[in-house]
Formats: sequence, structure tokens, C-alpha cells
Amino acid sequence: MNKKIVFLILVILSSALLTSCFDSKEIDEKAYIIALGLDKGKNNYLNMTLQLALPNKITSGEGESTSTTTVETPTLYAGLNMINTYISKEVDFTHCKVVVFSKELAQEGIHDYIHAMIRGREFRGSMFVAVSTGTAEEFIENATPILEMNPAKSYEMNFRSYEYTGFTGDTTLTNFYMLAECSCRQAFATLVGVNPYEDSDEFDPKNSTFREKGHDRPLEGDFYAGKIPKVYGTKSEVMGIAAFDGGRMVGEFDGQEALFHQMLYGTYQSSYISIPDPKNPDAFVILNVNQGRKPTHHVEMINDAPINSAKVQLEADILSIQSGFNYENTDNIQILENAAEEHIKKGMLRFLNKTRPMHADLCGFGRDLKMKYLLWEEWEKVHWLKKYAESKFNVDVEVKIRRPGLMVRSAPAKGSEGDVMK
Amino acid sequence: MAMKNKITFGSFEASCITITLITTQLFLNLPRAMMEVAWTAAWLLTAYVSVIALLLFFIIDRLYRPFEGKDLLDLGEHIGGNIGRIIVGIIVLLFLIYITPVILREFSENMKIIALTRSPLSFVLLFFLTGMIIASYAGLESIVRLSAIIVPIIAVGYLMIITGSLRYIDFSRITPWLGSGPYEIFVKGAPRISVFAGIILVYFLYPFIRTKKNFTTVGYASVVFSGLFFFIGVLIFSLIFQYPTGTESFLPIYELARLVEYGRFFQRLESMFVIIWVASALLHLSILLFLIAYVFKKTFKLKYYKPLIIPFSIIIFSLAIFSHNLLSAIELEKHFRTFAWMVTFLLPIVLLIIARFVKQPAKKEGES
Repeated sequence: MNKKIVFLILVILSSALLTSCFDSKEIDEKAYIIALGLDKGKNNYLNMTLQLALPNKITSGEGESTSTTTVETPTLYAGLNMINTYISKEVDFTHCKVVVFSKELAQEGIHDYIHAMIRGREFRGSMFVAVSTGTAEEFIENATPILEMNPAKSYEMNFRSYEYTGFTGDTTLTNFYMLAECSCRQAFATLVGVNPYEDSDEFDPKNSTFREKGHDRPLEGDFYAGKIPKVYGTKSEVMGIAAFDGGRMVGEFDGQEALFHQMLYGTYQSSYISIPDPKNPDAFVILNVNQGRKPTHHVEMINDAPINSAKVQLEADILSIQSGFNYENTDNIQILENAAEEHIKKGMLRFLNKTRPMHADLCGFGRDLKMKYLLWEEWEKVHWLKKYAESKFNVDVEVKIRRPGLMVRSAPAKGSEGDVMK
Repeated sequence: MAMKNKITFGSFEASCITITLITTQLFLNLPRAMMEVAWTAAWLLTAYVSVIALLLFFIIDRLYRPFEGKDLLDLGEHIGGNIGRIIVGIIVLLFLIYITPVILREFSENMKIIALTRSPLSFVLLFFLTGMIIASYAGLESIVRLSAIIVPIIAVGYLMIITGSLRYIDFSRITPWLGSGPYEIFVKGAPRISVFAGIILVYFLYPFIRTKKNFTTVGYASVVFSGLFFFIGVLIFSLIFQYPTGTESFLPIYELARLVEYGRFFQRLESMFVIIWVASALLHLSILLFLIAYVFKKTFKLKYYKPLIIPFSIIIFSLAIFSHNLLSAIELEKHFRTFAWMVTFLLPIVLLIIARFVKQPAKKEGES
């Protein structure tokens, strides 16, 4: 009899427990934020823009899959409170994929916002940190996914495009936070912007950085975000990186410089690179380049000024030879390798010299120097990030062309005018 | 000692529960605490205190030879009769009653931060306390045998978190190699052997594991494996979170778990962390509550320990909510980790040395 009573009590208790918590929240009771934008406010500290996912639209595939709202607020979390008053569901950041700061705000310093996100359990370290060349609000409003109905996946894939373009970088929140607090290198964020072009006739070469680099015409990476000559369904774009000194943005780099940064930093994977043809300056050779080995850095202090050396080893496959010159020949391949090395080295030195006045050791030369010290106090006395401005750079680039693609020689087209490559 | 004759278990089970009692700090704040002392050389400090703990246990093990099957209370009785036993018992009780509420509070508060954010603290405390009470009622054998099942699972989960975060390591983060300096590490850092405070359990398990061989095996296995887990955890944490960023991290291993990500599919491994974390916390706290009741019973020669469980639970609960906030509880734990070595290592050594010089008085006829 006693056993039956005990069994009955256990069943009643279990049934009560199995109903789950009284204060539980179902997935559909939350408003999932996928992008957060922070601008300077007009009347208060911040303009906070949230892009919310609309799950029912994502599943049905009809209509816009996101909704955007902006509030003026003194702080990030105060803004959340305000937004929670007029949207029907509670705001949740666990699926937030990107935080965008306006350039204006980033130049004033964002470390306090980064700390607020790291401290909050809802923000994930894998979300991306970006700086908008215009306002963050404008960027988020224009970031409408085209190829992907799921906006979170769209952001994730877009911001990870550096893995096959090299034009931005790994700017996840954890990475940014760690670099910002490091005494041997500096943080960087993805540069984002909104494209102004409505028609391809409006394309303006003035929006490219090719002239200041000494290029004859714009190469694929010679643009900042918001300046790419393109017409597409979505106006938002990612291209280049923003450099930080501590928590303050101090400069920006275009796509090609971001690519050189990745090569020197060691996160470069692969991308297509156009090299001016050494035999025909009006033509290009297109290479599919990947990092052969991680770059090595070496720092020497001479007269209290750093001499930073880097060795970058790349491998490449030939994708296109516009001039038709037979670089695939084992005698000629060296010419192409040398030209590629020279082109990349020149770009890298230009990039590194640009980082110097910004005190932005984006490539982590300080790591090498730090490893030579035994005590933290001794290392701190070096004041590396201050000394970085006095740096001199040596870069050794090695490009090995491994494969010619699916063609072993370039035969010309036969025409009435003879052999032509056009 | 009615229990002594009935309950015995193997050295594997005893090692598992001791390792749990020692290493649970890893899931709280150990990597950060080590980094606060040695800065970039936190891994070195961890290796150093592990070696010291091993040496001290070697000494204790040697000194224990003539006292097979005796725990610290038996040694106290051997030296000073009832008074000796009561003094040792009170020292150990104070030691356990100090740390148990602190750990209970820390686990509950952390649970509130990472998972049960909206539940009242008292509910989370009671959640743990209920588990502790049930386990203590079930007795030592149940706790120990359960630990033999759960500890390997916890170990696998822990190693998964560690290996999953390996791709973020950067060796420059543990440089400069000597961090805060040799004096801070090797002199000021020495009291950090208190991280092995949980080894105290081995002295009380001795009557249950019976033989000197088992005692030696359990002791060495506990120190070596705990030291290894500590070292791996602190090293990997230091290689991922550089100094001083690592000193900001509230729950270091949880932070590592949050980093684990392979592609878009394999993410959010911290949910696994919560499971292994609660399992180890429950085992840790259960054995502490049992130990308090058991030591009290034996110190004052009571017949049963079970009636003591609820009163001690109430005391622990009251003390747990005594701290104003989590930071005060952490501060209390810091003090404990500075002085705990005195009870864990110094007290047994002193007792064992004195006991060697004390002759056991001849037992009167009929005395058990």
C-alpha cells in the first residue's frame, strides 16, 4: 500500500515537473536581432538601429525577411528597453551577426561598447564588428539579402567572403576585443558602406584609389566600401578594413590593402589577383593565389627604432594570360613569378608605411618582439605601439606558380589579320 | 565506525570523486586566479604548484605508512585521545563549513548568469541543495559510484571544449615567459597549492579504501590527474586569452566553450558546458555536505550521520546567502585558496609526525 502511495506521489510530482518552467520563453516569443547599428545621436549619445529577423517571412519566402527600427538613446541597453516597449516580442541578441559602428562614432572610440557586448551573455563572440563609411543606420537599411532568404546566414556569408576575396578580414567580436587589448598589435574592423550608383553610366574612377597607388587603371581591390563600381539589388557592400589605435578608429584601408594585410597577418586563404603583365603593360595576368606558408616576422630594435621584416610565401595557379605570352614555359615562368612578387611587395610596403603614423601594428610585428622578453614589466617599458610609428619595413615576398590551370600554352586566335589574342 | 565495515570501493571510484572535488575550480575561476598572480606565466605557476602538491603528498604518503586505514580524526585520537580527535574534527569542520557555502553561492550565481537568468537566487541555491541532500542521504557509496560514471563523461566534455578551442591559440600570448617575475611566481605563488585543497577527501576515504596501496594509488592519481587538468586548462586559456584580457574573464572555461565553432553547423557548445558543469558542481557539493555530516558524526562519536544532513543544509544555505554579492563570495574563496594548504597539507604532516612519537595507550579490555 505504501509503495503505491509513494509511486502515486512520484507520478504527480513528475507530471508537474515535465510541464517545464512557468516562466519559460518559447522561440516564437522573442524578436531576434540580426544586425545592430550604432551612430552618434543628435540629441542624445546614440542612435541605435536594430534589424529584426521575420521568421514567418523567411520560411514562407515571400516579402522582406527583415524589419528595421532606430531609436535615440543614452546607452545600448537603455535603447533595448525603449525598443521593447513598442515591438510585441522581447528583443534577443543571441542570433545577432554583426554590429556596425558609424565612422564618426568609431573615431571617438568604441571600446566601452565592445566591453558592454563582451559582458552581456547574449552577444556572441562570432558576430562581426564593422565600421560604416556612412551611417550605420543607412547601411543596415540597405542590407537586404538577395540570394538568401535567411538574413542571418546572408550576413554571415557576406562577412566571411574575405576567405575567398581577401578584401576584408576576420573581424569577429572576440578577435576585435582581443586585439584591442593587446599590447603588441592593434584591432581592425570590416569597412562597410552603401553604394551610390543607380546606373552603370554613373561609375566614376575618382572613387577609386588607383591613382594614389600609381596604378594605370583601377584594380579589383582599389576601392573602399561604398565606392565599388557596381549596380545590384542590394546597396550595401563590404570592402576594406578600418584600423584602430586602442578603441579609436585611426584610418581605413581599401580592399587591396586589406588583402596585403591578410597576407602579412597570416589569415589569407586564397583569392584572384590581377598582376600587370610584365611583357605587355596594357594587359593582365590573373592568378589564383593562396598562402603557401604562414608569414614569418622578425623585429630588431636599432637605435631604439624597430626594423620590421616579414617573409611571405605564396603559391599561385594561372587563371588567365591576356597577352597570350607563353608564361607556362618553364623558362618564362620565372618572369611572371618575379613580376607577381614585385607587384605584391610594392603594395605591401605601401600598406605598411600607411599603418606607421596611425600607430596601428595590424600585422602583429610586436608579437615577435614580445617573445624575446622574459618579464612583463620589461616588455611594457618598450611602449611598442608608440614606437611602431618609427618603424622601418623590409618585406620578402616569394611567389611560386604551381599550376597553369587547364591549359599548358596560350595559342592565338587565327583571323584575317593573322594571329591575335583579342 | 559502522560504515567502515560495510562500505568499500575501489581506487578508481575514490580517485574519481577526489579529482572532482579538486578540479571543479577549473569551471569556476582557476585559470583567471592563476593569471592574476603570474600574468602571462599562469601555466608555469600551475605546473609549479602541481609539482609541490605532488611532493607534499609524497611526504604524507611516506609518513602514513604505519597508520594504515586511519583518517585524520583517528590520527587526532591516536595523539590526544578524545580531545585530539575533537580538535582535529573542529578544524576540519571549520574548513569545510567555510568553503561549502562559498562554492554553493558561486555555482548558483554563475548558473544565474549563464543559464537561469530570471530565476531567483534562492531557487537556484535550493536546486543545488536538494541534490546535495538527496545524495548525502544516499550515502558515500552512492556518491562515489555515481562519480565513477560521471567523471569520465565530464573529462570527455572538458577535453572536447579544450580541443575545440585549439585553433585560437597563439604562443605569443604566453610571452613574456616569466610574466610577473620569478619572485611572484615561485615565492608569492606557492600558497596557491591550496588549489589542491580537495585532496583532504583522500584522508577521510582511507578507512573505506582500506589498504595502504589503495591510499597511495588514489592520492597520486588524484594529484597527477588534477594537476594535468589544471595545467591543460590554464595553458590553453592563457594561449587564447592574453594577459590582461584573461583577468577580465569571469568564467574562463565557459568563455572557451563559447569560442568553439566549426563552420555554420557546429556552434554553441556552451550548452554542453552547462551539463558537465552542473554535474561536477552537484558531485562536488554533495561530497562536501556528506563530509561535513560524516566528520561531525565521527568527531563527536554520534551513532548516525543522516539526522545531521538537514541541519547542516540549513546552515550552509544561510551562510551561502550571507555574502552581499557574488564578488564578496569570490573574495572569500580567494582567502580560502591562500590558507587552505595549512589544513590540507600542513595539518596531516604535523599530525603524522607527532603520531609517530606517540605510543598508542594499551586498550582496556572490552574497549572497541
